[in-house]
Amino acid sequence: VSVSVSARKAILDRIRAATAGYSAGPPVRSAQPYIRQGRLDSRARLNLMIERLREYNAEVVECIATDLRACIADTLLRSGRRIFLAPRDLPAEWHASGFDWKIDTGLSHSEIEACDGVVTACFAGIADSGTIVLHHSGSEGRRVLTLLPDWHLLILCASQVVETLPEYFDRCPQPPGLATYISGPSATADIEMTRIKGVHGPRFLNVILVHDQQGDDPSDAPANHA
Amino acid sequence: MNGETAHSVDLDPRTAPPFPEAALPILRNTQLRKNVAHATDVIQTKRAHLVGEKMDWQQLRSAAAAIKDMALASLDQYLAEFEARCTASGGQVHWAADAAQARRIIVDILRADQASEVIKIKTMTSAEIELNPALEAAGIHAIETDLAELILQLGNDQPSHIVAPALHVNRSQVREIFARSMGRADLSDDPEALTGAARAYLREKFLRVDAAISGANFLVADSGAVAIVESEGNGRMCLTLPRTLIALAGIEKIIPRFRDLEVLLQVLARSATGERMNPYTSVWSGVTPGDGPQAFHVVLLDNGRSSILARPTERQTLRCIRCAACQNACPVYRQTGGHAYGSVYGGPIGAILTPQLMHMEHAQSLPYASSLCAACYEVCPVKINIPEVLIDLRAQLVDQERRQTGRAFDVMYIGMRAANWIFCTGKRLRWAQRIGRLALWPFTREDGWIHALPGLGARWTMTRDLRGMPQQSFRDWWAIRAREKP
Repeated sequence: VSVSVSARKAILDRIRAATAGYSAGPPVRSAQPYIRQGRLDSRARLNLMIERLREYNAEVVECIATDLRACIADTLLRSGRRIFLAPRDLPAEWHASGFDWKIDTGLSHSEIEACDGVVTACFAGIADSGTIVLHHSGSEGRRVLTLLPDWHLLILCASQVVETLPEYFDRCPQPPGLATYISGPSATADIEMTRIKGVHGPRFLNVILVHDQQGDDPSDAPANHA
Repeated sequence: MNGETAHSVDLDPRTAPPFPEAALPILRNTQLRKNVAHATDVIQTKRAHLVGEKMDWQQLRSAAAAIKDMALASLDQYLAEFEARCTASGGQVHWAADAAQARRIIVDILRADQASEVIKIKTMTSAEIELNPALEAAGIHAIETDLAELILQLGNDQPSHIVAPALHVNRSQVREIFARSMGRADLSDDPEALTGAARAYLREKFLRVDAAISGANFLVADSGAVAIVESEGNGRMCLTLPRTLIALAGIEKIIPRFRDLEVLLQVLARSATGERMNPYTSVWSGVTPGDGPQAFHVVLLDNGRSSILARPTERQTLRCIRCAACQNACPVYRQTGGHAYGSVYGGPIGAILTPQLMHMEHAQSLPYASSLCAACYEVCPVKINIPEVLIDLRAQLVDQERRQTGRAFDVMYIGMRAANWIFCTGKRLRWAQRIGRLALWPFTREDGWIHALPGLGARWTMTRDLRGMPQQSFRDWWAIRAREKP
């Protein structure tokens, strides 16, 4: 530790000596600011989100809030999987019946590894890049829950979808202690730039986009479920 | 020593041969040049497409440069703020003035943990401080988990690119390396099968090994957070599963606010891999009870960086966010790949960063390893004017040489001083032009070009022709014209 303390002083002294001549001044901002606010209406924003997710081979379905439980059951059934993980605070009505649910009360890595898939909420969706944001709250789960299982079902509410990355930061008055941004399945292009999907993270991402029933924009409701 | 590459690779700038010497054998390695050209073409095409769809790309570049400049102008304050906030959230911050101190800190942490193995996320900084040999010497086996780094580690090879360090290796070479080191003679050279083999090989290690080492893409001062961007998920594995995590980061990785990521994440992935966003980005502050490593260390590394701050032109070098766009765009790098640069940082950014990290005492050929075409500047997401820095470094090197004794009698310096004397007055220049015209006349061919010169001049005409001197100078022409048209 003593080495580190003297190194700390040496480094900071060197930095101060090197930057002493510079006026701190007001922060330089570019003359023309970059785009912060999106320009799409809500339906177009959701469509862009869906399009981006599908580009990543994610499977996306839409439903209205009252149909969510049935929609979850349907998605789990179609997956052909049986044992699902649930974060500690996943809403009880999302635990579709007919499946084995493991509630995360501090499960071990091997217990998590033994599950077929995981169902979680999320903090936000960013349409511009098709990014899913997890802040790892009680319903989003510890980081390991969405890492080890090969199959992930995400419940994304329409109201959580923003168009641009800066709009997501608008929704973070305080920096989160933990955050994971997911933009597509794990991938590599390290061998001859050939893109291979599914290296270490989950290989299958499923998203249910949930529309509020009394949403202020009635066009939000998808035709096939309305 | 090295069975996979046709040439031996030395990436220690203190001992590596000068760039032209190191580049020669590589230029004869057509397979390697093909691999590098293919990879850089693919990334450049994807990047150009995604940058093109961004209406505010230039504004984002300016904003990204401004964020990094702001951080560098008050670097001491932001480092102290990061330290305070990281510590408050359960992290431990260590300071390393040089590579040896950083290695010792990391080895000590792992020893205290009684670790015999450690899993690693790709970090160029760890390659810079030659961490793996130090770990092995301490009896700790380092396991690279990034696919490209794993290929290099198992193939006893060295990184040649900042983002895709194994881009000089092709699929059949990867197959050979994996087949031998994983005992998988049955393996095909299909990238999917090779990736699958790496997944199986590493899965067990992720679940077993209890300590991890990462780099950092950003250190966030106002939240004490570290951010890592990646594609494969090996990063998330290393950041989540072990009990102990050590992040090694250069001091220039600091950004003032969490919010600044709204700019930097937009420019980084597009520039690095040609994606709107990289598949996984992880941000965490210190330790979260019940989630992830419960012992978290950050090692802040100087190793020559603070000395780069002093000069205003060179300072922009420290804006670099290691996207490698300059490498992909560079006509020199695209011919030689990274190994010729004798440093883990190759290409244009390496040409300015490496000599400065070496206090201009080593890697002195690198500022000349460029045509100054400025393709690197054009693609740089934080607007580092690399050609400007290259020229300034060349001037520093010339000043340095001039101070050395015996230099006064060097032909080059006598010539330069003579030129200085001649260019002082118009009269001297006119005489020099007359003498030059006479002296060059015997070598000038009918087409007006000089194709071969004797002696020192041959160094020029060996690779290019020289235009013969015109019979009339502009001054002569002007004087005659003035007389004829009063």
